[in-house]
Amino acid sequence: MDERILVEQLKQGDESAFKTIVETWQSMVYNTALGIVQNAEDAEDIAQETFVQVYQSVGSFKGESKFSTWLYRITIAKALDHERRKKRKKRFGFVRSLFGEDSEVVVNPPDFNHPGVVLDKKEKAATLFKTIAELPENQRIAFTLHKVDGLSYQEVAEVMATTVSSVESLMHRAKTNLKKKLEDYYKDKE
Amino acid sequence: MRPDIDKKVQETLESLDGIQRAEPQPFFYTRLTGRLQRNEKTIWETMGSFISRPVVVIASLFVILLVNAFIVLRQDTTTNNAALVADQTEQLLTDNEYVLATNSSFDYENIDRP
Repeated sequence: MDERILVEQLKQGDESAFKTIVETWQSMVYNTALGIVQNAEDAEDIAQETFVQVYQSVGSFKGESKFSTWLYRITIAKALDHERRKKRKKRFGFVRSLFGEDSEVVVNPPDFNHPGVVLDKKEKAATLFKTIAELPENQRIAFTLHKVDGLSYQEVAEVMATTVSSVESLMHRAKTNLKKKLEDYYKDKE
Repeated sequence: MRPDIDKKVQETLESLDGIQRAEPQPFFYTRLTGRLQRNEKTIWETMGSFISRPVVVIASLFVILLVNAFIVLRQDTTTNNAALVADQTEQLLTDNEYVLATNSSFDYENIDRP
C-alpha cells in the first residue's frame, strides 16, 4: 500500500495501518538501531521506542520527506539518546564506586556480532564494529547508514539533512580514521 | 606498512560487504502494543504529570506571587482612601461643631404633642 495512504490512515487513528507500518519497517528500524548501539536488546528497545514515537507524533509528519527518511531520523535520534544515557550511567556508576557506594560498575560489553554478517567474516566484522564505535558521531552515522543499512550517499544525505558532498567527505574521513585505528590495532596485537 | 597488516586492515574494512539486514525477534508487534498500552495514561495521570512539570510549577508560583502582590498593593491604596475619607468626615464634623442635630426643626422633646 502507498505509504502516504498508510500515514493518513494512521493519523486518523487506524490500528491496522499502524500494524502494517510496523510490519513493513520493523526490520529497517531494528537494523539501523543495531548498527549504532551494537546490542540486540538495546536495539529492540530503541525500535519499540521509535514506533511508540511514530504512533504518538504522526500528526507532526508533514510529508515533506519520505516516511522512511523520517523513521531513520527518529531511530538515529533515539539510538544516540540511548548511548548518551548509557555513557552517563557508566560514568555515574564509576564515580559512585570510587566513593565506595554499593553500585554495579557497568563493564565494557563483549565483541558485537551482527547476525547478518557471513560466518567467515564474523571475527573481522566484530573488530570493525568495535572500531566504528570509536569514530566521531557524524562519521559513525554516515558510515553505518551506508555500509550496514545499504543506503546510497544520496539517501544518507537526506536522512542526515545534509548534502551529498558532505556525506562523501564524512565517508572519506571515516574510512581514513578506521584504517589508521585498525593498523594500530593489528600492530598492537602482534 | 607491512603487507600482512595492510591485508588484514583491507579485509576488515571489507567485512561488512554483503551484510544481510538483521531482523528483530518474532512477535515484535505484540510486544510493541503491550508497551503502548503500558504507556497510555489516564486523564488524571496526564494532568498530574502536566502539573508536576518544573515549568508549570514555577509559572504557577510566579502567578500566585503576582496576584498576592497585586492584592497587597491594592489593599494599601484602599486603606489610604478609607483613612482619607475618615479624616475628611472628622474634619467636617469639627468644622460644624457637631451642630447637625440642632439644625433640625423636628421637636424631639414633644413627639406626642400636635
